[in-house]
Amino acid sequence: MPDAAMTASDTPAPGTRLARIWDAPIRLFHWLLLPLIAFSWWSGERHEMEWHRLSGYGILALLVFRIYWGFFGGRTARFAQFLRGPGAALAYLRSQASGRHEPAPGHNPIGGWSVILMLATLVAMVLAGLFAVDVDGLESGPLADYVSFDQGRLASDIHGIIFNLLLALIVLHVAAIFFYTVRLRQNLVGPMIHGRRRTGEQVADVTTSPWRALIGIAIAGACAYAVARGFRL
Amino acid sequence: MTLSRTTRFLLIAAPAALMVAGTLAAAPAAAPSPQAAIAARQAGYKKMGAAMKAINDQLKTDAPAKAVMAPAAQTLAVTAREQPKLFPAGSGPTAGVKTDALPNIWTDRKTFDAQMAKLIAESGKLVAVMNGGNIDAIRVQAKATGGTCAACHRQFRQDT
Ligand code: HEC
Ligand code: HEM
Repeated sequence: MPDAAMTASDTPAPGTRLARIWDAPIRLFHWLLLPLIAFSWWSGERHEMEWHRLSGYGILALLVFRIYWGFFGGRTARFAQFLRGPGAALAYLRSQASGRHEPAPGHNPIGGWSVILMLATLVAMVLAGLFAVDVDGLESGPLADYVSFDQGRLASDIHGIIFNLLLALIVLHVAAIFFYTVRLRQNLVGPMIHGRRRTGEQVADVTTSPWRALIGIAIAGACAYAVARGFRL
Repeated sequence: MTLSRTTRFLLIAAPAALMVAGTLAAAPAAAPSPQAAIAARQAGYKKMGAAMKAINDQLKTDAPAKAVMAPAAQTLAVTAREQPKLFPAGSGPTAGVKTDALPNIWTDRKTFDAQMAKLIAESGKLVAVMNGGNIDAIRVQAKATGGTCAACHRQFRQDT
Protein backbone atom coordinates (compact mmCIF):
# COMPACT_ATOMS: atom_id res chain seq x y z
CA MET A 1 0.00 0.00 0.00
CA PRO A 2 2.71 2.56 0.86
CA ASP A 3 4.63 1.13 -2.08
CA ALA A 4 1.80 1.94 -4.43
CA ALA A 5 1.70 5.50 -3.18
CA MET A 6 5.44 5.81 -3.49
CA THR A 7 5.65 4.55 -7.07
CA ALA A 8 2.77 6.80 -8.05
CA SER A 9 4.49 9.91 -6.71
CA ASP A 10 7.96 8.89 -7.74
CA THR A 11 7.07 8.07 -11.31
CA PRO A 12 9.04 10.56 -13.38
CA ALA A 13 7.36 12.55 -16.06
CA PRO A 14 9.26 12.25 -19.32
CA GLY A 15 12.60 14.02 -19.21
CA THR A 16 12.65 14.57 -15.47
CA ARG A 17 15.36 13.69 -13.00
CA LEU A 18 16.05 13.30 -9.30
CA ALA A 19 16.72 16.68 -7.74
CA ARG A 20 18.16 17.18 -4.25
CA ILE A 21 15.61 19.30 -2.37
CA TRP A 22 16.70 18.83 1.28
CA ASP A 23 20.31 19.18 2.37
CA ALA A 24 21.87 16.67 4.77
CA PRO A 25 21.92 18.97 7.87
CA ILE A 26 18.17 19.60 7.55
CA ARG A 27 17.46 15.91 7.34
CA LEU A 28 19.74 15.14 10.27
CA PHE A 29 18.05 17.91 12.27
CA HIS A 30 14.67 16.44 11.56
CA TRP A 31 15.48 12.83 12.39
CA LEU A 32 17.43 13.70 15.53
CA LEU A 33 14.65 15.95 16.77
CA LEU A 34 11.99 13.27 16.56
CA PRO A 35 13.54 10.73 19.01
CA LEU A 36 14.71 13.52 21.33
CA ILE A 37 11.19 14.92 21.64
CA ALA A 38 9.87 11.43 22.30
CA PHE A 39 12.57 10.85 24.90
CA SER A 40 11.93 14.24 26.53
CA TRP A 41 8.28 13.36 26.80
CA TRP A 42 9.02 10.00 28.41
CA SER A 43 11.69 11.28 30.80
CA GLY A 44 9.58 14.33 31.74
CA GLU A 45 6.54 12.24 32.61
CA ARG A 46 8.70 9.78 34.55
CA HIS A 47 10.44 12.68 36.28
CA GLU A 48 13.81 11.27 35.21
CA MET A 49 15.23 14.76 35.39
CA GLU A 50 18.91 13.94 34.82
CA TRP A 51 17.98 12.39 31.48
CA HIS A 52 15.32 14.98 30.78
CA ARG A 53 17.78 17.86 31.05
CA LEU A 54 20.34 16.10 28.82
CA SER A 55 17.72 15.45 26.19
CA GLY A 56 16.59 19.08 26.47
CA TYR A 57 20.13 20.34 25.88
CA GLY A 58 20.22 18.20 22.76
CA ILE A 59 17.02 19.81 21.52
CA LEU A 60 18.37 23.25 22.42
CA ALA A 61 21.50 22.62 20.33
CA LEU A 62 19.38 21.41 17.42
CA LEU A 63 17.20 24.52 17.59
CA VAL A 64 20.18 26.88 17.66
CA PHE A 65 21.60 25.08 14.66
CA ARG A 66 18.29 25.21 12.82
CA ILE A 67 17.95 28.96 13.32
CA TYR A 68 21.52 29.47 12.10
CA TRP A 69 20.78 27.19 9.14
CA GLY A 70 17.70 29.25 8.36
CA PHE A 71 20.14 32.01 7.32
CA PHE A 72 23.21 30.12 6.12
CA GLY A 73 21.87 26.73 5.04
CA GLY A 74 20.80 25.31 1.71
CA ARG A 75 18.20 27.11 -0.38
CA THR A 76 15.17 25.20 0.93
CA ALA A 77 16.28 25.56 4.57
CA ARG A 78 16.34 29.37 4.51
CA PHE A 79 13.58 31.31 6.20
CA ALA A 80 13.75 33.91 3.42
CA GLN A 81 12.90 31.20 0.90
CA PHE A 82 9.90 29.65 2.59
CA LEU A 83 8.44 32.46 4.68
CA ARG A 84 5.72 33.76 2.39
CA GLY A 85 3.01 36.30 3.02
CA PRO A 86 -0.65 35.46 3.64
CA GLY A 87 -1.37 36.24 -0.01
CA ALA A 88 0.88 33.46 -1.21
CA ALA A 89 -0.54 31.10 1.40
CA LEU A 90 -4.11 31.83 0.28
CA ALA A 91 -3.21 31.46 -3.37
CA TYR A 92 -1.65 28.09 -2.60
CA LEU A 93 -4.75 26.94 -0.72
CA ARG A 94 -6.98 28.11 -3.57
CA SER A 95 -5.00 26.23 -6.19
CA GLN A 96 -5.09 23.13 -4.00
CA ALA A 97 -8.85 23.44 -3.59
CA SER A 98 -9.32 23.73 -7.34
CA GLY A 99 -7.64 20.36 -7.71
CA ARG A 100 -4.36 21.47 -9.23
CA HIS A 101 -1.57 20.08 -7.10
CA GLU A 102 1.89 21.34 -7.92
CA PRO A 103 4.59 19.89 -5.65
CA ALA A 104 6.70 22.74 -4.28
CA PRO A 105 10.49 22.55 -4.59
CA GLY A 106 10.89 22.81 -0.81
CA HIS A 107 8.31 24.05 1.67
CA ASN A 108 5.04 25.20 0.20
CA PRO A 109 3.65 28.50 1.59
CA ILE A 110 1.47 26.70 4.16
CA GLY A 111 4.16 24.22 5.13
CA GLY A 112 6.55 27.11 5.71
CA TRP A 113 4.24 28.57 8.30
CA SER A 114 3.80 25.23 10.00
CA VAL A 115 7.59 24.91 10.23
CA ILE A 116 7.91 28.34 11.84
CA LEU A 117 5.08 27.55 14.25
CA MET A 118 6.68 24.27 15.31
CA LEU A 119 10.12 25.83 15.73
CA ALA A 120 8.72 28.75 17.74
CA THR A 121 6.77 26.36 19.97
CA LEU A 122 9.88 24.27 20.56
CA VAL A 123 11.89 27.38 21.42
CA ALA A 124 9.22 28.43 23.93
CA MET A 125 9.11 24.89 25.32
CA VAL A 126 12.86 24.83 25.89
CA LEU A 127 12.96 28.36 27.31
CA ALA A 128 10.26 27.51 29.86
CA GLY A 129 12.07 24.29 30.75
CA LEU A 130 15.32 26.14 31.43
CA PHE A 131 13.62 28.10 34.23
CA ALA A 132 11.20 25.41 35.46
CA VAL A 133 11.24 24.20 39.08
CA ASP A 134 9.36 21.12 40.27
CA VAL A 135 6.92 21.29 43.19
CA ASP A 136 9.49 19.79 45.57
CA GLY A 137 12.05 22.51 44.85
CA LEU A 138 14.36 19.58 44.14
CA GLU A 139 14.76 19.47 40.36
CA SER A 140 15.05 22.46 38.10
CA GLY A 141 16.31 23.79 34.80
CA PRO A 142 19.85 25.19 34.64
CA LEU A 143 18.70 28.82 34.69
CA ALA A 144 16.19 28.42 37.53
CA ASP A 145 18.55 29.97 40.08
CA TYR A 146 18.08 33.30 38.27
CA VAL A 147 14.37 33.30 39.23
CA SER A 148 12.30 32.85 42.40
CA PHE A 149 10.53 29.64 43.38
CA ASP A 150 7.14 31.08 42.34
CA GLN A 151 8.47 32.20 38.97
CA GLY A 152 10.05 28.78 38.48
CA ARG A 153 6.71 27.13 39.24
CA LEU A 154 5.05 29.43 36.71
CA ALA A 155 7.67 28.42 34.13
CA SER A 156 6.87 24.79 34.91
CA ASP A 157 3.14 25.42 34.34
CA ILE A 158 3.91 27.14 31.04
CA HIS A 159 6.21 24.24 30.13
CA GLY A 160 3.25 21.88 30.63
CA ILE A 161 0.77 24.00 28.67
CA ILE A 162 3.11 24.49 25.72
CA PHE A 163 3.72 20.76 25.65
CA ASN A 164 0.05 20.22 24.82
CA LEU A 165 0.32 22.79 22.05
CA LEU A 166 3.42 21.01 20.75
CA LEU A 167 1.60 17.67 20.70
CA ALA A 168 -1.28 19.25 18.77
CA LEU A 169 1.14 20.69 16.19
CA ILE A 170 2.89 17.33 15.81
CA VAL A 171 -0.45 15.59 15.23
CA LEU A 172 -1.32 18.22 12.61
CA HIS A 173 2.11 17.78 10.98
CA VAL A 174 1.71 14.01 10.70
CA ALA A 175 -1.89 14.35 9.50
CA ALA A 176 -0.79 16.74 6.75
CA ILE A 177 1.92 14.32 5.59
CA PHE A 178 -0.66 11.53 5.58
CA PHE A 179 -3.02 13.70 3.52
CA TYR A 180 -0.31 14.42 0.94
CA THR A 181 0.55 10.75 0.68
CA VAL A 182 -2.96 9.40 0.38
CA ARG A 183 -4.94 12.16 -1.33
CA LEU A 184 -2.32 14.01 -3.35
CA ARG A 185 -0.17 10.97 -4.08
CA GLN A 186 2.93 12.88 -3.07
CA ASN A 187 5.46 11.12 -0.86
CA LEU A 188 6.99 13.63 1.54
CA VAL A 189 8.69 11.16 3.87
CA GLY A 190 11.10 9.67 1.32
CA PRO A 191 12.66 13.01 0.34
CA MET A 192 13.11 13.92 4.01
CA ILE A 193 15.09 10.67 4.39
CA HIS A 194 17.23 10.59 1.22
CA GLY A 195 16.87 14.24 0.23
CA ARG A 196 15.82 13.75 -3.41
CA ARG A 197 12.62 13.98 -5.34
CA ARG A 198 11.71 13.46 -8.98
CA THR A 199 10.57 16.76 -10.33
CA GLY A 200 8.90 17.75 -13.53
CA GLU A 201 10.22 21.30 -13.46
CA GLN A 202 13.75 22.46 -13.79
CA VAL A 203 14.73 22.37 -10.14
CA ALA A 204 18.36 22.95 -9.26
CA ASP A 205 20.02 20.74 -6.66
CA VAL A 206 20.24 22.23 -3.19
CA THR A 207 23.86 22.84 -2.36
CA THR A 208 25.50 23.55 0.97
CA SER A 209 28.92 24.25 2.33
CA PRO A 210 30.28 21.75 4.88
CA TRP A 211 32.24 24.58 6.47
CA ARG A 212 29.11 26.52 7.16
CA ALA A 213 27.54 23.42 8.67
CA LEU A 214 30.59 22.88 10.91
CA ILE A 215 30.48 26.50 12.10
CA GLY A 216 26.78 26.06 12.89
CA ILE A 217 27.43 22.87 14.83
CA ALA A 218 30.17 24.62 16.82
CA ILE A 219 27.88 27.56 17.66
CA ALA A 220 25.04 25.20 18.64
CA GLY A 221 27.31 23.13 20.86
CA ALA A 222 28.77 26.18 22.56
CA CYS A 223 25.32 27.66 23.23
CA ALA A 224 23.98 24.42 24.68
CA TYR A 225 27.06 24.03 26.87
CA ALA A 226 26.86 27.60 28.20
CA VAL A 227 23.15 27.28 28.99
CA ALA A 228 23.59 23.86 30.61
CA ARG A 229 26.21 25.41 32.88
CA GLY A 230 23.81 28.26 33.71
CA PHE A 231 26.36 30.64 32.12
CA ARG A 232 28.81 29.87 34.96
CA LEU A 233 31.68 29.14 32.63
CA MET B 1 -41.82 -4.69 62.38
CA THR B 2 -42.70 -2.21 65.08
CA LEU B 3 -40.15 -0.39 67.13
CA SER B 4 -40.66 0.53 70.72
CA ARG B 5 -41.05 4.18 71.55
CA THR B 6 -37.65 4.15 73.28
CA THR B 7 -35.89 2.61 70.28
CA ARG B 8 -37.41 5.22 67.96
CA PHE B 9 -36.31 7.99 70.27
CA LEU B 10 -32.77 6.62 70.39
CA LEU B 11 -32.56 6.19 66.63
CA ILE B 12 -33.33 9.87 66.12
CA ALA B 13 -31.73 11.40 69.16
CA ALA B 14 -28.45 9.52 69.27
CA PRO B 15 -27.00 10.81 65.96
CA ALA B 16 -28.19 14.32 66.80
CA ALA B 17 -26.55 14.15 70.21
CA LEU B 18 -23.34 12.84 68.65
CA MET B 19 -23.29 15.72 66.19
CA VAL B 20 -23.79 18.30 68.91
CA ALA B 21 -21.13 16.63 71.06
CA GLY B 22 -18.78 16.53 68.11
CA THR B 23 -19.21 20.23 67.42
CA LEU B 24 -18.74 21.11 71.06
CA ALA B 25 -15.61 18.96 71.31
CA ALA B 26 -14.12 20.54 68.20
CA ALA B 27 -14.94 24.13 69.12
CA PRO B 28 -12.65 24.62 72.13
CA ALA B 29 -9.65 23.49 70.04
CA ALA B 30 -10.23 26.64 67.96
CA ALA B 31 -9.41 24.74 64.78
CA PRO B 32 -8.93 27.08 61.83
CA SER B 33 -11.75 27.13 59.31
CA PRO B 34 -11.07 24.75 56.43
CA GLN B 35 -10.50 27.67 54.09
CA ALA B 36 -8.05 29.37 56.41
CA ALA B 37 -6.23 26.07 56.94
CA ILE B 38 -5.88 25.56 53.19
CA ALA B 39 -4.47 29.07 52.70
CA ALA B 40 -2.07 28.62 55.60
CA ARG B 41 -0.77 25.23 54.52
CA GLN B 42 -0.29 26.34 50.92
CA ALA B 43 1.68 29.36 52.12
CA GLY B 44 3.74 27.05 54.31
CA TYR B 45 4.45 24.66 51.45
CA LYS B 46 5.48 27.53 49.21
CA LYS B 47 7.88 28.67 51.88
CA MET B 48 9.32 25.17 52.04
CA GLY B 49 9.54 24.98 48.26
CA ALA B 50 11.49 28.25 48.20
CA ALA B 51 13.77 26.97 50.96
CA MET B 52 14.41 23.70 49.13
CA LYS B 53 15.19 25.62 45.96
CA ALA B 54 17.56 27.95 47.82
CA ILE B 55 19.50 24.95 49.14
CA ASN B 56 19.56 23.11 45.83
CA ASP B 57 20.57 26.25 43.91
CA GLN B 58 23.61 26.47 46.19
CA LEU B 59 24.40 22.77 45.85
CA LYS B 60 24.49 23.20 42.07
CA THR B 61 27.34 25.69 42.34
CA ASP B 62 31.02 24.92 42.83
CA ALA B 63 31.11 26.66 46.23
CA PRO B 64 27.77 26.25 48.05
CA ALA B 65 27.24 29.10 50.54
CA LYS B 66 26.41 27.85 54.00
CA ALA B 67 25.15 31.32 54.93
CA VAL B 68 22.30 30.78 52.46
CA MET B 69 21.65 27.10 53.13
CA ALA B 70 21.58 27.07 56.93
CA PRO B 71 18.66 29.53 57.36
CA ALA B 72 16.76 27.72 54.60
CA ALA B 73 17.20 24.40 56.39
CA GLN B 74 15.94 26.08 59.56
CA THR B 75 12.87 27.36 57.70
CA LEU B 76 12.19 23.85 56.43
CA ALA B 77 12.43 22.26 59.86
CA VAL B 78 10.24 24.90 61.54
CA THR B 79 7.59 24.96 58.83
CA ALA B 80 7.44 21.17 58.64
CA ARG B 81 6.31 21.14 62.26
CA GLU B 82 3.46 23.57 61.60
CA GLN B 83 1.94 21.77 58.62
CA PRO B 84 0.32 18.76 60.40
CA LYS B 85 -2.19 21.06 62.16
CA LEU B 86 -3.41 22.44 58.85
CA PHE B 87 -5.35 19.47 57.49
CA PRO B 88 -8.61 19.60 59.52
CA ALA B 89 -11.62 17.57 58.41
CA GLY B 90 -13.49 19.33 55.63
CA SER B 91 -10.39 21.00 54.15
CA GLY B 92 -10.25 18.59 51.22
CA PRO B 93 -11.65 19.02 47.71
CA THR B 94 -15.11 19.74 49.15
CA ALA B 95 -13.96 22.93 50.91
CA GLY B 96 -15.00 25.14 48.02
CA VAL B 97 -11.61 26.77 47.51
CA LYS B 98 -8.80 25.67 45.25
CA THR B 99 -6.79 22.88 46.85
CA ASP B 100 -4.67 20.08 45.44
CA ALA B 101 -5.09 17.99 48.58
CA LEU B 102 -6.51 14.58 47.65
CA PRO B 103 -9.42 13.05 49.62
CA ASN B 104 -7.32 10.02 50.59
CA ILE B 105 -5.55 12.24 53.15
CA TRP B 106 -8.64 11.87 55.32
CA THR B 107 -9.30 8.20 54.56
CA ASP B 108 -5.68 7.09 54.90
CA ARG B 109 -4.68 9.47 57.64
CA LYS B 110 -2.15 7.12 59.23
CA THR B 111 -0.01 6.98 56.11
CA PHE B 112 -0.31 10.73 55.62
CA ASP B 113 0.73 11.47 59.20
CA ALA B 114 3.66 9.09 58.82
CA GLN B 115 4.83 11.07 55.78
CA MET B 116 4.52 14.26 57.82
CA ALA B 117 6.60 12.74 60.60
CA LYS B 118 9.19 11.58 58.08
CA LEU B 119 9.59 15.13 56.75
CA ILE B 120 9.99 16.48 60.27
CA ALA B 121 12.68 13.87 60.97
CA GLU B 122 14.58 14.40 57.69
CA SER B 123 14.47 18.20 57.85
CA GLY B 124 15.68 18.00 61.43
CA LYS B 125 18.61 15.90 60.26
CA LEU B 126 19.27 18.45 57.53
CA VAL B 127 19.68 21.20 60.12
CA ALA B 128 22.12 18.99 62.04
CA VAL B 129 24.14 18.15 58.92
CA MET B 130 24.15 21.83 58.00
CA ASN B 131 25.84 22.62 61.31
CA GLY B 132 28.36 19.86 60.59
CA GLY B 133 29.28 21.69 57.40
CA ASN B 134 30.31 18.70 55.24
CA ILE B 135 29.03 19.54 51.73
CA ASP B 136 28.73 15.93 50.61
CA ALA B 137 26.68 15.07 53.69
CA ILE B 138 24.49 18.13 53.08
CA ARG B 139 23.98 17.02 49.49
CA VAL B 140 22.88 13.54 50.56
CA GLN B 141 20.54 14.84 53.25
CA ALA B 142 19.02 17.52 50.99
CA LYS B 143 18.17 14.76 48.54
CA ALA B 144 16.66 12.63 51.29
CA THR B 145 14.55 15.56 52.48
CA GLY B 146 13.38 16.32 48.95
CA GLY B 147 12.54 12.66 48.57
CA THR B 148 9.99 12.89 51.39
CA CYS B 149 8.33 15.88 49.70
CA ALA B 150 8.11 13.97 46.40
CA ALA B 151 6.84 10.76 48.01
CA CYS B 152 3.98 12.52 49.79
CA HIS B 153 3.05 14.56 46.71
CA ARG B 154 2.82 11.43 44.57
CA GLN B 155 0.38 9.92 47.00
CA PHE B 156 -1.62 12.81 48.41
CA ARG B 157 -1.38 15.79 46.07
CA GLN B 158 -3.19 16.16 42.79
CA ASP B 159 -1.38 16.79 39.51
CA THR B 160 2.34 16.77 40.10
C1 HEC C 1 2.78 14.72 54.30
C2 HEC C 1 2.63 15.08 52.95
C3 HEC C 1 3.48 16.18 52.34
C4 HEC C 1 4.81 16.40 52.51
C5 HEC C 1 5.79 15.59 53.35
C6 HEC C 1 5.13 17.56 51.73
N1 HEC C 1 4.01 18.02 51.08
FE1 HEC C 1 3.94 19.60 49.82
N2 HEC C 1 1.93 19.32 49.62
C7 HEC C 1 1.19 18.34 50.23
C8 HEC C 1 -0.20 18.52 49.89
C9 HEC C 1 -1.34 17.63 50.35
C10 HEC C 1 -0.29 19.67 49.08
C11 HEC C 1 -1.56 20.33 48.51
C12 HEC C 1 -1.99 21.41 49.49
C13 HEC C 1 -3.23 22.15 49.03
O1 HEC C 1 -3.32 22.48 47.85
O2 HEC C 1 -4.10 22.36 49.86
C14 HEC C 1 1.08 20.16 48.92
C15 HEC C 1 1.41 21.28 48.19
C16 HEC C 1 2.70 21.76 48.04
C17 HEC C 1 3.05 22.92 47.26
C18 HEC C 1 2.08 23.79 46.45
C19 HEC C 1 1.47 24.84 47.33
C20 HEC C 1 0.48 25.69 46.58
O3 HEC C 1 0.78 26.84 46.30
O4 HEC C 1 -0.59 25.18 46.22
C21 HEC C 1 4.40 23.10 47.38
C22 HEC C 1 5.24 24.18 46.73
C23 HEC C 1 4.88 22.04 48.25
N3 HEC C 1 3.83 21.24 48.62
C24 HEC C 1 6.21 21.89 48.61
C25 HEC C 1 6.66 20.91 49.48
C26 HEC C 1 8.04 20.74 49.86
C27 HEC C 1 9.19 21.60 49.35
C28 HEC C 1 8.09 19.69 50.71
C29 HEC C 1 9.30 19.07 51.40
C30 HEC C 1 10.23 19.94 52.00
C31 HEC C 1 6.74 19.19 50.86
N4 HEC C 1 5.89 19.95 50.09
C32 HEC C 1 6.39 18.10 51.64
C33 HEC C 1 1.68 17.32 50.98
C34 HEC C 1 2.98 17.20 51.44
C1 HEM D 1 10.95 20.14 23.51
C2 HEM D 1 11.61 19.75 24.56
C3 HEM D 1 10.95 19.31 25.85
C4 HEM D 1 9.86 18.51 26.04
C5 HEM D 1 9.00 17.83 24.98
C6 HEM D 1 9.63 18.43 27.47
C7 HEM D 1 8.60 17.73 28.07
C8 HEM D 1 8.36 17.71 29.42
C9 HEM D 1 7.29 16.97 30.07
C10 HEM D 1 6.24 16.11 29.34
C11 HEM D 1 7.37 17.20 31.42
C12 HEM D 1 6.46 16.63 32.51
C13 HEM D 1 5.46 17.64 32.93
C14 HEM D 1 4.55 17.08 33.97
O1 HEM D 1 4.81 15.98 34.46
O2 HEM D 1 3.62 17.77 34.33
C15 HEM D 1 8.49 18.07 31.65
C16 HEM D 1 8.91 18.54 32.89
C17 HEM D 1 10.07 19.28 33.12
N1 HEM D 1 10.96 19.72 32.13
FE1 HEM D 1 10.78 19.46 30.14
N2 HEM D 1 10.60 19.17 28.11
C18 HEM D 1 11.43 19.72 27.16
C19 HEM D 1 12.55 20.51 27.36
C20 HEM D 1 13.06 20.84 28.62
C21 HEM D 1 14.29 21.57 28.84
C22 HEM D 1 15.22 22.10 27.74
C23 HEM D 1 14.44 21.68 30.19
C24 HEM D 1 15.58 22.32 30.96
C25 HEM D 1 16.78 21.81 30.92
C26 HEM D 1 13.31 21.04 30.81
C27 HEM D 1 13.09 20.98 32.18
C28 HEM D 1 11.99 20.40 32.79
C29 HEM D 1 11.76 20.40 34.22
C30 HEM D 1 12.65 21.03 35.29
C31 HEM D 1 10.55 19.70 34.42
C32 HEM D 1 9.90 19.41 35.78
C33 HEM D 1 8.84 20.41 36.07
C34 HEM D 1 7.84 19.86 37.05
O3 HEM D 1 7.90 18.69 37.39
O4 HEM D 1 6.97 20.63 37.43
N3 HEM D 1 12.49 20.54 29.84
N4 HEM D 1 9.07 18.36 30.42
